[in-house]
Amino acid sequence: MKFIFNFILLFFVISMPFKVFAQEEILLGLIPEQNIFKQMERYRPLASYLSEKAGVKVRLTILSRYGDIVERFVARSLDGAFFDSLTGAMAITRMGVEPMARPVNLDGKATVRSYIFVRTDSKINSVKDMKGKKVVFVDMATATGYLFAVAFLHENGIHDINRYFNEYFFTGSHDSAIYSVLDNRADIGSAQDTIFNMLASKDPTIKRELHIIAQSEELPETTLCLRKSISSKIKNRITDILLHMNEDPAGKKILKKFGAVKFIRAEAGDFNSVFNLARRAQINIKEYKGTR
Amino acid sequence: MKKKIILSLFFLFLLFTMGSVMTMFYILRVTTRLDTLITLHQVEILRQDLVINVQTVQSHLYTLGTSFGKELDVIVENVATLDNAAQKCSGCHHSPEITSKIKTIQDLTEQYKEALSTFITTTAGRERVERLQIVAANIGNMILTKTQEMAFIANQKLNEKTIAAIKDVSSSRIILIVTLLLCFFIALAIAASLTREVTEPVSELLKATRKIKTGELGYTTSYAGKDEFKELLESFNDMSITLNENNKKIIQHLVRLSGLYRITLSFHAITNVEDIYKEVSYGIAELVEIEQCGVILLDKDKEFFTHRFPAFGLNQEQIANIRIPKENFIDIYRSSNRRPLTLNDNASALPFGEIDKNLNVKNLMLIWIRQKGELLGAIRVANKKSGDFSEEDSRILGILANNVSVALENAKLYENLKKQMAELKETQEELVQAAKLAAIGELASNIAHEINNPLTSILGYSELIKEETDINNIMRDIEVIEKESLRARDIVHQLLEFSRKRPLEIKEIQINDIMSEVLALAAVPLKDSNIKISKLYGDIPLIEGDANQLKQVFLNIINNAIFAMQGGGSLGVTTAMTDKDSVHIEIRDTGKGIPKEILQRIFEPFFTTKQEKGTGLGLSVSYKIIQSHNGRIDVESEEDRGTKFTIVLPVSVKQLF
Repeated sequence: MKFIFNFILLFFVISMPFKVFAQEEILLGLIPEQNIFKQMERYRPLASYLSEKAGVKVRLTILSRYGDIVERFVARSLDGAFFDSLTGAMAITRMGVEPMARPVNLDGKATVRSYIFVRTDSKINSVKDMKGKKVVFVDMATATGYLFAVAFLHENGIHDINRYFNEYFFTGSHDSAIYSVLDNRADIGSAQDTIFNMLASKDPTIKRELHIIAQSEELPETTLCLRKSISSKIKNRITDILLHMNEDPAGKKILKKFGAVKFIRAEAGDFNSVFNLARRAQINIKEYKGTR
Repeated sequence: MKKKIILSLFFLFLLFTMGSVMTMFYILRVTTRLDTLITLHQVEILRQDLVINVQTVQSHLYTLGTSFGKELDVIVENVATLDNAAQKCSGCHHSPEITSKIKTIQDLTEQYKEALSTFITTTAGRERVERLQIVAANIGNMILTKTQEMAFIANQKLNEKTIAAIKDVSSSRIILIVTLLLCFFIALAIAASLTREVTEPVSELLKATRKIKTGELGYTTSYAGKDEFKELLESFNDMSITLNENNKKIIQHLVRLSGLYRITLSFHAITNVEDIYKEVSYGIAELVEIEQCGVILLDKDKEFFTHRFPAFGLNQEQIANIRIPKENFIDIYRSSNRRPLTLNDNASALPFGEIDKNLNVKNLMLIWIRQKGELLGAIRVANKKSGDFSEEDSRILGILANNVSVALENAKLYENLKKQMAELKETQEELVQAAKLAAIGELASNIAHEINNPLTSILGYSELIKEETDINNIMRDIEVIEKESLRARDIVHQLLEFSRKRPLEIKEIQINDIMSEVLALAAVPLKDSNIKISKLYGDIPLIEGDANQLKQVFLNIINNAIFAMQGGGSLGVTTAMTDKDSVHIEIRDTGKGIPKEILQRIFEPFFTTKQEKGTGLGLSVSYKIIQSHNGRIDVESEEDRGTKFTIVLPVSVKQLF
């Protein structure tokens, strides 16, 4: 009898910590860099890997657009998000989130650039040629899909895009912006180089029919930032898993599917290039909402 | 039969294998059909899932407008499920028509995803957004339409397959039932046939064993089969016949053994040799059917072995001729290596030559009689009626010869015993007479005194007669003389009567009378020794015995009592019946008693305490006399207090009934 009692007690004592972890959940937001379904498919294996290794359920949620990112972060009670360079800078500045890690892409870079591109047959070679044309941006809250283009236009003397262009619109995702130009729904587009190159590798018409007329300096790749209030234990655990997953065969597999070589540690200083770009675009990140 | 059983079992095995194969074939066929049906139903479920998912996404599209907020996750999940459903379809085998439609749906799904993503993420003007919404919705509707078309085709296929499956199930059921019934009845027929073929000889065998069990040995069956059972039953018949023959032999042996036992048993009661010869000869004639049989033994003068009379099949004259010199007889014994001599077919080798020829001997057997390793003689058996003498005859007659040897020895011992018994009896009688005379001797002085008194009177009156002249006085004196003479004659007569040696005379006697006569005989010495007599005679029945011998016993005891009471005393005599079978006689004295250390020895012959006055025979002879009367004599004594003798004698048998 005593043996059975001790056994039950031991079982409860042993199972308790796991129960505590099982109840914990981390909700991470994903910005719509590309088609939201593809984006979800890309990040889902990574989330499963983190859940399994960290003992904390990692759930993903799609943020439909870049703008109002701070408000949405609060409204959805997110614990963190994979931010792109501009939304990352905004979140760091206004919410104090902590950048933890960012991926190193298959080309060995942990940075991205912004492309301004046109169709090859559009005869647009300079800012002058753009006048009265239809422009497509990704979102006002993206550095590669909007901020660089605004900075580029400012530096080329264009301060009012409403008047300079016939029409401009936001697709919400980089691939949509690329396809908008490719499909002739827009004349000029702005998008992130990694998405552009990835689509170009799959779809040869992109390389053939689109022409890059400008590109930005290197900006930080999508960075995982976590809420400050999350226990440092969990933050460190997740960061550690990401930083060492390239050493684990299972992790390596996930990374390959994700399209990265490894994760490296991220710091707030990585975003200095974004702040510079914002200044060039005459945008104050502290006040910038990323929406019209 | 074995072949038939193996073939039947093989046929049954084939039948069941065929049945099993058919069953498995139809079960597989039906289950395959059912699997297909289940798969089709699962596909239908997939299709329905697809439709539901598309409809869900579509409803979100229309109901939520451009602001999806939190519901975006739901849409993403639904689209993922939708995509999965569409992908799953391509994993199955379909007709080209269906494969093409599935491909279309998958393409549409991809387009739908693209359109949805664009619609969801686009933040351009309202018009543009609405246009994107319509594009996405249209693709969704197209997916629904295509799915419905597929559902129609799938339903048609499903119906066809269901009808085919039901038909298959129905036909399989009939075929299975027919197969099972067919197998069952064929198996039943085979089993019945095999059972009949097995049980028929078995019951025949059972019947035969029961017959044998009830004693009908030799019973044979008449089973007419051609299989192993026939062999078995033939073997059984042989066994039954052999059993019967053996049983007959056993019975024959038992009869012989019983005869042998009867003959040897009679030897125990036979005490004279003639009876032994007769029993052996006639007994053997019963055991072994022969014409001549008898015993040959060594003569008293030990020179010839002669045939003894009586014998079976030989008269006295023939027997007298069978007289073989000892050396010849022993030579024959030695030449047979001391084993029974059997001659069945060699007339020239007959051991006794002419003697045997004269007796018309055809076959002969001599079984040697030995005693303590020495040859006593032989049992001669000749002319067996049924065939030759056998080894078994030899064994049985050998046993008999051993018993004859013992019986002859017994007869000899009995003869010796009889002689010794006669001598012993004679000695005992002499002993009793000597004891009797000794007892009389002890009384002699007193008896002489008793005789002397009448003699003195006779002499006195004789002197008076000489001087008397008166005839009357003379006559009176002569009368006194006559009276005293008669008195003296009585005493002498009594003495003579007692002392006379005469044979044992058993008759019914009254102990009280015997005791009175003894006391009268001892009256004078008792009186002279100042011994008072007290008598208590009980009402006792007659006993069977010799009055004279019992008188001797009582006189011996009373003489001893007188010797023990020299200074006077009292003598008590009591007769009584303590139980219905015996009479008790008690003789007590108040003498000096017998010391304990010699009490146990008083009945020993020649043991006496009277020194030269006694012979030591009185009590020992008394003990023997009481023993020969089937009685008992006991003594109790206490020094200086007295001695008590108790004699118990059985009541006459005539008195008991």
